[in-house]
Amino acid sequence: MQYPSILDKQIKDKNMSVLRVENLTKNYPGTVALDNATIQFESGKVNAVIGKNGSGKSTLIKLISGVIKPNNGKIFLDEKELSFSNPIEAYDNGIATVYQELSLVLSLDVAENIFMGRLPMKNGIVNWKTVYSKAGELLKSMGVDISPKAKVFSLSMWQRQMVEIVKAMSHNPKVLLLDEPTSALAQNEVRHLFEFVRRVKEKDVIILYISHKLHELWQIADNCSVLRDGKYIGELEMKDATQKELLTMMFGDTKINKLPDDLCTSDEVVLKIDKLTRKGKFENVSFELYKGEILGIAGMLGSGRTELLKSIFGADPYDSGTIIVKDNEIKAPTPEKMRNLGVAMTQEDRKNTGLVQLRSVRENLCFASLDKLSKNGIMNKRAEDKAVEKQIDELQIKIPAQSVRVSSLSGGNQQKVVVGNWLNTDPDIILFDEPSRGIDVNAKQQIFQIMWEQSRRCVSSIMVSSELEELLEVCPRILIMYHGKIIDEIKSKDCTVEQLYLKCMGGKL
Amino acid sequence: MTSKRKFRFDDYILELVLLVIIVVIALLTPNFMSPQNLLNVLRNVSLQGVIALGLTMTIIGGEIDLSIGSSVALYGVIVAKVTGWLAESNIMPMEYGVLVGILVAFIFSIIIGSIIAWLHIKFKMPTFIITLAALSILYGLAALLSNGFPITTFPMWYNNIGAGRFLGIPIPAIVLIVVFFIVFFIMKYTRVGREIYAVGGNAEAARLCGINIKKIKTIYMIAPQILACVSAILLSSQVMSASSQFGKGYEMTAIPSVIIGGAALSGGIGTVWGTFLGIIFLGVISNGMTILNINEFTQYIVKGSLIIIAVTVNTTLLNRKQGA
Repeated sequence: MQYPSILDKQIKDKNMSVLRVENLTKNYPGTVALDNATIQFESGKVNAVIGKNGSGKSTLIKLISGVIKPNNGKIFLDEKELSFSNPIEAYDNGIATVYQELSLVLSLDVAENIFMGRLPMKNGIVNWKTVYSKAGELLKSMGVDISPKAKVFSLSMWQRQMVEIVKAMSHNPKVLLLDEPTSALAQNEVRHLFEFVRRVKEKDVIILYISHKLHELWQIADNCSVLRDGKYIGELEMKDATQKELLTMMFGDTKINKLPDDLCTSDEVVLKIDKLTRKGKFENVSFELYKGEILGIAGMLGSGRTELLKSIFGADPYDSGTIIVKDNEIKAPTPEKMRNLGVAMTQEDRKNTGLVQLRSVRENLCFASLDKLSKNGIMNKRAEDKAVEKQIDELQIKIPAQSVRVSSLSGGNQQKVVVGNWLNTDPDIILFDEPSRGIDVNAKQQIFQIMWEQSRRCVSSIMVSSELEELLEVCPRILIMYHGKIIDEIKSKDCTVEQLYLKCMGGKL
Repeated sequence: MTSKRKFRFDDYILELVLLVIIVVIALLTPNFMSPQNLLNVLRNVSLQGVIALGLTMTIIGGEIDLSIGSSVALYGVIVAKVTGWLAESNIMPMEYGVLVGILVAFIFSIIIGSIIAWLHIKFKMPTFIITLAALSILYGLAALLSNGFPITTFPMWYNNIGAGRFLGIPIPAIVLIVVFFIVFFIMKYTRVGREIYAVGGNAEAARLCGINIKKIKTIYMIAPQILACVSAILLSSQVMSASSQFGKGYEMTAIPSVIIGGAALSGGIGTVWGTFLGIIFLGVISNGMTILNINEFTQYIVKGSLIIIAVTVNTTLLNRKQGA
């Protein structure tokens, strides 16, 4: 980018800066979240930090950004020891963090978000002219083509992610912490974001990039520090690293599963969708789902996959077409009606639509099956105990007690509660919307095992996912959705990720 | 999963605060602990208490009902009007007519609760606004029906409800306890109770679990109206008259009781037992101050301040628990 940068002065005195943590340790009751870690991060590079959930990477981020304090160890920035009592202090000392959950206010515009809490003032009132001109300069200097007056809700996820990073960079930080910035993005959006991160990298900032999407690292990271069970395992230069090497470092030795060959196959149609259309979302979608089958739906974000599932489940309306469940045509479906017909749907967004975060694991495992667990409106405690214990046991949900709030669980355990809630309804068809979103690799494998197990029990599933590798790993047959239409269908045994990716992009790159 | 929860000071904070207050008041005024006075406390809180129990369902469900004060006035006037009309037109003597009056009032309470729920569901209006409007409308209806005067068309036996005793215990206190057990049972042991918690905690998640949120919302908007009707019967039978001035400001006691009891106005959190403690808490304070001969206006200030303190203590502890 040829635009003059507000960060140019940092480039001029190009002394490489270094962030170093020494013997950093954080204990929580019962666990050591980070165990004596000594790691060094250099500027001008994207330093990836990877590890499965519970490996200590979030703890590391929180320690560096001043959210929590270490029990032992020190943090140095250019040989100056850092010690913060709160995140604002860390921010003031040049450590900026962009969290997984975006912190932008959707109803405000880009400029207001960037200068939130420090809008330029003149005589005690906000100087809007300066706000927009400054924000405009800032966006330009970072090569971001977004109007400072655009409302954030009108932006796509990757654009919001960029605004978030521009906001962080406007503080002229020395260290930029990116916590899973791609978790909500589709593959093409990730590419845009990466281009942007590469530009940021040139500003001589120390970038820490937290992720559990391995394949991304080769595209974006220069080197990669691996954590496992709170311990620092080692560091690799990405250009020399192999996937196998990284996986070994992350997991010791966990195998990647190939498609099992004992899945239920049948030619009995349990769900038939005919010319289903919702204007602006998807049109003329037709397909059949067989008994025991796991059918994948691949497509980029915005191709209408989630919307299709929601309309089939009765959560959203549709304009025309028919839905036939086990030979019954369904008129005006609602989630209640579909559930009673044996259809389940696990929501992608566990926080806002999948779970009642304020309530306990026990309650959340029963919300979809209350009719089965009650008699004449009164809860049957024994049936409830059985249903709850069964799912906790079979899905290996790790919790200290049934009464803990689901909000206190990790993503993987929350996802298991979502699935358990629906398995308690004894469904014949389960619609999985992004079942692996925001959960670690091991929990992902467990969720896939659960899906295969359902197939063996002749329960049919539809899986929507942004992760093409996952679809190939889990589903024997995959439909490809592009701009609201089903354009192709593949058998996963004779398709590669690259081929599938190409098809999802409409056949052209 | 046989983890027994350890006793935690935090879990019983409201009980402890209540205990301390009772001890303090008991030390200051010897009369306070007399059985007579304690029953008095129960009777005095029962009118607002039954409504607070119904409101607990509404508030846990994530909504509010501000109209209950006027509802009490209206339902009392309806009972009196119907009874009087039946007697005047020689259809039925007051002795039986009052039963019809009560039935009509209950039907009205269900209708009004349903209308509030319908407006909320159909037009996505906040219940805060609907019931604020209803507070005014229902008061107006009560005043119109009664011409602004107290009506006294009640049979003698009616007085036994509000002023009578059973085994020495005032009937309103018994009603309060019975209503407590019913609401407690609904919220803890029934499907509807679970669904109210789900809808209050996250209505969209509840809908996507196949929970009929329209039905649940209708149920928990009707509940405080029905209990306002119960309150109206207790009050009108106690004083043997009904007036549009009755029930004024009841929401100012009923809602704080629920909140002191630990329920969150944002929904999904709260217990019926907590509300019960909240009701007793406010009752004890007001009784204690009266015995101590504290100026009535000062009482208002003390009561309001104590509500703020109680809620602050409750929420800070709750936050600490969540943070842990």
